Amino acid sequence: MIKLVDLHKSFNNLKVLDGINLEINKGEIIVIIGRSGGGKSVLLKHIIGLIRPDAGHVFIDDIDITRLKEKDIYKIRRRFGMLFQDAALFDSMTVGQNIAFPLAEHTDLSKREIAEIVAGKLADVGLSGIEDKYPSELSGGMKKRVGLARAIALDPEIILFDEPTTGLDPIMTAAIDELILGIQRRLNLTCVVISHDIQSTFKIANKIAMLYEGKITETGDPESFRNSENPIVQGFLQGIPEDKIISS
Amino acid sequence: MRRFLFTIGHKTLSAINQMGDMTIMLISAFSWAFIPPMRIRNIFKQMEFIGVKSIFIVILTGLFTGGVLALQSYYAFRKFGGESLLGATVALSMTRELGPVLTALMVTGRAGSAIAAELGTMRVTEQIDALAVMAINPVKYLVVPRIIAGILVVPILTVIDDFVGIVGGYIVGVWLLKINPGIFMAKMIEMVELSDIFNGLFKSVCFGLLLTLIGCYKGYHTRGGAEGVGRATTEAVVVSSVSILVGDYILTSLLF
Repeated sequence: MIKLVDLHKSFNNLKVLDGINLEINKGEIIVIIGRSGGGKSVLLKHIIGLIRPDAGHVFIDDIDITRLKEKDIYKIRRRFGMLFQDAALFDSMTVGQNIAFPLAEHTDLSKREIAEIVAGKLADVGLSGIEDKYPSELSGGMKKRVGLARAIALDPEIILFDEPTTGLDPIMTAAIDELILGIQRRLNLTCVVISHDIQSTFKIANKIAMLYEGKITETGDPESFRNSENPIVQGFLQGIPEDKIISS
Repeated sequence: MRRFLFTIGHKTLSAINQMGDMTIMLISAFSWAFIPPMRIRNIFKQMEFIGVKSIFIVILTGLFTGGVLALQSYYAFRKFGGESLLGATVALSMTRELGPVLTALMVTGRAGSAIAAELGTMRVTEQIDALAVMAINPVKYLVVPRIIAGILVVPILTVIDDFVGIVGGYIVGVWLLKINPGIFMAKMIEMVELSDIFNGLFKSVCFGLLLTLIGCYKGYHTRGGAEGVGRATTEAVVVSSVSILVGDYILTSLLF
């Protein structure tokens, strides 16, 4: 349902994406791995139309969003939810207002109905009863969970995760992984996750794609990835620096 | 020499680029301003922030500007016996120039910088992207209410500044320098035209637009974390202040 075709993007003559081709099927969890600063976030922002490519296409159910006007992209975006790296909660609003925000903007629900949905979504992420707290009062892990609750507020079909476990302790990382798996199964969502956390990747992924030097160097299920003979993939999985891979 | 020319050329191009980007932001804000929902509550919130919370500082500025203006003019006028013109001088200076310009500069320092810092922080913490992802246009949600609020409240603040400035001039002129209050008021009423006040207010509408647009633009396009937010804030104040002063010259030459 998501198809990236020959996607190119440069910033100030620096090639970030250099011909990306990738297909993401409905209902699967794909994890895109790659080193930090390698263009993973840029790739994710192309999928939701926050960045327009220099060349190439992004198809969402056969609609090429790179050709759409800004207003039409907004219609497509309502099918998406996104969890940002640092959750990107609005710090002028309470947790409850943050989750209620997309509902108040895009639906005609009454205040009481919205409050019920907010409470339900907070329960989904295991944080009931914190509606009146402000984001500044929350820990990193709690912020991410509230961010996830906000991302699923409008019951999207596709959720994008920008490094959901970066900066979290192992226990919170495991909790977030479980949450992603649980929500994906319950709502039958398509999840696109970008990460460099190997352990989490193998735990949640149906499919893994590796981004290297602006290209998808390998895609496959976790098992085939683990057994891959591609030195770049093995180097990344085992944490071997690039210069050593090339010299060996 | 080549490097010098390169730097000049680069800076000029970058300035022209920014002006173009700012114009595009203004056009986009203008077109979004008429598409419902109108977000009246947001506009009122910004009016409170830009306007109500600037009243004290505007009163303070006006009072002392009017006072010092009376004091300085008095010593000059005394040399040729023109003290009776003090009221008119203070009122004309305040309504035509000092009221609009000083109010705009004070609001820039207080609210323009805060707008740039707030939007800049929202940009670097991806809150602006989060709005766009939620299918809410960030220009409509963040920029439009601030610009509308700026256009509405800066003239109101200017009226307050004009009035308080004249009161400051009266206090210094009549109470301290013992000018006849009747003459002070009569000359003022005789010489200040309604057009002086309205032209001053027209300027302040333009300044309100300028300072909010520049604050929003600099914040919206912030790059590079906390340092970037700091830079955006400083640039917003500097660019707004210079634009207000340059704009004031252009408007004065066109209006009066």
